[in-house]
Amino acid sequence: MIRFEYVSFTYPNADRPALDNISLHLLDGEFALVVGPSGSGKSTLLRCVNGLTPHFSGGVISGGVTVNGLDPIEASPKVMSRHVGFVFQTPEAQFVMDRVEDELAFALENAAMPPQEMRIRVEEVLDLLDLAPLRHRQLDTLSGGERQRVAIAAALAFRPQILVLDEPTSQLDPKSAEDVLQALVRLNTDLGLTILLAEHRLERVLPFVDQIIYLPATGSDLVQGSSAQVLPQIDLTPPLVQVAQKLDWSPLPLTLKEGRRHSLRWLDGRTIAPKSHSESPPAGRPYIRSEGVQVAFKGQTVVQGVDLQVWPGEIVALMGRNGAGKTTLLKTLVGLMRPKQGQIVVDDQNVTGRDVADIGRKVGYLPQNPGALLFADTVREELAVTLRNHGLPPQHAPVDPETLLAELGLAGKADDYPRDLSVGEQQRVALAAIMVTCPGALLLDEPTRGLDYRAKQQLIDLLQRRQRAGAAIVLATHDVELAAIAANRVVLMSQGEVIANGSPAEVLGASPLFAPQVARLFPGTGWLTVDDVCESIC
Amino acid sequence: MILSTTRNPWYVGLVLAAIAVVRAAIQRLDLSTSPLPFSILRFGLFVVTFSAIFNALSVHFGRTVLFVIPPAIPYLGGPVTLEALVYGTLNGLVLTGLFAAFTVFNQAVTIRQLIRLVPQAFFPVAIMVSIAITFVPVTLRHARDIREAQAVRGHRLRGLRDWLPLVMPLLVGGLERALQLAEAMTARGFASTDEAGHDALTRLTILLGLTLLIGGWLLRLVWGYAVGGLLLLLAGIGLIMGILWRVGRRVSRTNYRPQPWTGADWAIVAGAVGAAAGFVVPWPGLDRSSIFFYPYPQLSWPAFQPLLGLVIAGLLVPALLALRLPVKNKRGVKRPSPTAQRGEPQIPPAGGLGGP
Amino acid sequence: MRQRTLSAAIFVMTTLIGIIAFFYPFWLPLVKQSAITSQSHAADSPLMLTLLVGVCFVVLLLEVQGQATSAKLIALLGMLIAINSILRFIEAAFPLPGGFSPIFFLIVATGYIFGARFGFLMGALTLLVSSLITGLMGPWLPYQMFTAGWVGLTAPLCRPAVWMLNGEGKWREVLVLALFGGFWGLVFGVIMNIWFWPFATGPAGQYWEPGISLSETLQRYALFYVVTSLVWDVARSAGNVALTLILGLPTLAALRRFQSRFTFEYRPLFPSSPTQGEL
Repeated sequence: MIRFEYVSFTYPNADRPALDNISLHLLDGEFALVVGPSGSGKSTLLRCVNGLTPHFSGGVISGGVTVNGLDPIEASPKVMSRHVGFVFQTPEAQFVMDRVEDELAFALENAAMPPQEMRIRVEEVLDLLDLAPLRHRQLDTLSGGERQRVAIAAALAFRPQILVLDEPTSQLDPKSAEDVLQALVRLNTDLGLTILLAEHRLERVLPFVDQIIYLPATGSDLVQGSSAQVLPQIDLTPPLVQVAQKLDWSPLPLTLKEGRRHSLRWLDGRTIAPKSHSESPPAGRPYIRSEGVQVAFKGQTVVQGVDLQVWPGEIVALMGRNGAGKTTLLKTLVGLMRPKQGQIVVDDQNVTGRDVADIGRKVGYLPQNPGALLFADTVREELAVTLRNHGLPPQHAPVDPETLLAELGLAGKADDYPRDLSVGEQQRVALAAIMVTCPGALLLDEPTRGLDYRAKQQLIDLLQRRQRAGAAIVLATHDVELAAIAANRVVLMSQGEVIANGSPAEVLGASPLFAPQVARLFPGTGWLTVDDVCESIC
Repeated sequence: MILSTTRNPWYVGLVLAAIAVVRAAIQRLDLSTSPLPFSILRFGLFVVTFSAIFNALSVHFGRTVLFVIPPAIPYLGGPVTLEALVYGTLNGLVLTGLFAAFTVFNQAVTIRQLIRLVPQAFFPVAIMVSIAITFVPVTLRHARDIREAQAVRGHRLRGLRDWLPLVMPLLVGGLERALQLAEAMTARGFASTDEAGHDALTRLTILLGLTLLIGGWLLRLVWGYAVGGLLLLLAGIGLIMGILWRVGRRVSRTNYRPQPWTGADWAIVAGAVGAAAGFVVPWPGLDRSSIFFYPYPQLSWPAFQPLLGLVIAGLLVPALLALRLPVKNKRGVKRPSPTAQRGEPQIPPAGGLGGP
Repeated sequence: MRQRTLSAAIFVMTTLIGIIAFFYPFWLPLVKQSAITSQSHAADSPLMLTLLVGVCFVVLLLEVQGQATSAKLIALLGMLIAINSILRFIEAAFPLPGGFSPIFFLIVATGYIFGARFGFLMGALTLLVSSLITGLMGPWLPYQMFTAGWVGLTAPLCRPAVWMLNGEGKWREVLVLALFGGFWGLVFGVIMNIWFWPFATGPAGQYWEPGISLSETLQRYALFYVVTSLVWDVARSAGNVALTLILGLPTLAALRRFQSRFTFEYRPLFPSSPTQGEL
């Protein structure tokens, strides 16, 4: 049981509280979802449950927290670790040992548990999370999803009654994320574990959730209640819920199955001309052209014979499973990897085998982790560094840095330390640092990973503005909804080859794996996004 | 230990042979977990040749002159002697032996096993080392990402100054990860605050131990009270060991994979310590003069003391034990249960094959 | 207060013994003349040296480690050691000029910012971990660990100089650290040579023999040093200075930024018992 009574908390040196007079109540065995935009205090709230706030962070707290009859502030995280398991966002920064079994035993060893008891506990959590086949593996050979499952198992080693997870899937691809969420659902239904989960991906967990706790940005009060009560009040919802709200479906569907019951009834008797997504084929010469590109990495062919053309003014979504060769293809286009065969032509120049720094002026590449880029003291300085690298004096910059920052919504942050910004803002700073040389093409690797709905929308707006300005944009992504909303063309890769290349409706609409929620709700209409639905009926 | 005390080719040769035998025996078990950066043999050849030539050319001392380099050439000029050549070769062999001993040791014992052998008193240090080793591959991957990300921004490595964009994100990223890891550890029951330091009794005992140690040493060396000094020394060491034990006992920790210290382990330690003691401790009745082989000024046939030769055989214990065992899977990968590993030889971390 | 004195006493004592032990070839002849020493005692002094240095190292490690069960301290050190070990990979992978090694800069910087305990652990364990990983362990490892630990242990000595110059966050601060790094670049080489110099009994006028006088010892050592190591050590020293000047300001800023996150005061409004949380 978890109870918060009028809890306020202020970080050291902060001028306003991160939590302001929060009260909530959770029963044993409940599955609660914590949602809210980034910076609304979700993480801080979760950390109050095991005393990490304020024991780890410092700061001033007031009000009362009761967890399993204990006060976490008085009891300290060490005591709370027996009652509350905690799982964090980044899978790679939670481990002390290098092998699965050792990692699971680590906390038990420190608690001086007798070896016999320890063996039982380790076997137990290995089974709970289906990790037995991986028990002897090195942690850095595991996938992100497997590592997050190990982290959950490690958190459960003390047999806590409560499991708290802070955005555990935000760094994972959809398949791994689903594995992790399914494991949680099983723990909740089979073991009766109380689960408190902060999560962006509502669509997978909504059907299993007992309570939603919504933390609005600032100013307004926390909302707590069942899914049906809370969802109508919040603006960060999956497409299914948005459509249902637009069409006044009641009761609110939480699963596609429920939704389809509504949609079939709704479609019945209406004649809807299938939306045609036919766009005029791009004219002129492609900005980027790869011809028969073949790339090998560590002796294995990762990309084979890819012909790809990207025209100015279009957004291409590059999709496919993990290891399909998406990232390798992007890296090859920008010169980070050398093709074994074939050639790459950018802006009518053959750039195969040229230096990355040269190609980088014409083709901007945003890696998965924008943090790898940022090192300067201020946002403004980051832009200046890129210009200096290319030997461009600030007055001869192809675009005025201040204008660019304003365009990216960073005007007020020019003097901030880049790494203190939110994930979405950091990504935009990294984009600005790349775009300051005005490259004709932008390649983005998994740009929506870790972003909440709002930051994602900002990114889409930004990309569409660049597109209208004539940029050729390629997104390597797992995010189906992003591809449905933003892309003009979807290229599907598998085992290093292009297996489909066409409009989103052609490639995504028919795919059993990649179809967005709206396409699944309204099969045969050609609709992909909530906006498509609105256009047709409004 | 033996290698650093003797230059007698008999003993050096025997130790090298012992190392080679142990290595062969261990390889039969397929315990080699890490491929060597380069072969010991090639390293040895290079070192021996280099050391011999260098010594012969730079040291113009000894009676058996091979040939004379005109003295007009600076540094190199002068007679080149057989003695210098022999001595250089011996030095090279000793270096090779030291290196080979450490390599064999590395092959037999994985890093993780070493960490588990760290005494309980030093468990914070063991965990730090463990974290560092866990995060080296992560940091390497991060370093590669950073290099790529900066290259795309037009970064080129021209001078020292260009290291800044590579090192800073690595450092700051590491600090950020440290914060996350610390939080994760705290959530799993590690204390987030730190009672720094030990109690006064521990510290006073350590100080007393150190005083006894230095006192004993000075007594022995400066004033020549051999026995009294030795007693003080031993008392000092005893006190410090006692404190280590006491601090270790206070650490309440258990081990998921206890490594029982078996008879085989004792045999190996005994063999190694016996060999070392034979060479280092002045046993009454043992003629130790053959240890101090010195080819200058006139090369002579080195003396051989059979008893000392026999002592070196103590180093072969791990090989004998290894031969008794059936060939096993790669060590550290499959470990069915703690009982199944009891027979495996544990080469001790200290006092071993060729320590300084 | 008493605890602090005891702790300081241990630092001073181990450092003194370490210096005495490391430098024994120099003072041994001074006392030898008046002493009645037999042959066997002279022979066991290298052994004693190893033993003393070993015990000092163990004691110092125990003292600086304290009862460090703080997750923050352990995680931070583990991560910094990992980073520094990677820098040592670079040293192993590229032939850098002479004895230049990028690891000293970070040891000095962390010791300076986070204190002597931290610096010692950083220095000693960086050497340990990087040798474990590269597999380049050797008999020199304990001495390297000890000496690199000293580098970190003494780094806070720069603080008074910086305070006097009122240079925190300015170029003057970096300059002080650069000079300190340069100084240690040379001294590191001197110390690392001394430990094996007496063992490397060669006949040239560059090697130590039992029974030679102090002046001759110094002369021989100086010659040995100039011939074998001066170039390396100057390169190391210059490398430290250059690296500190280039990376100094941003690195110190980054470490300070995190120092405030790793050390804080916990002031709850309720319950009323304030606890101190620090490294």
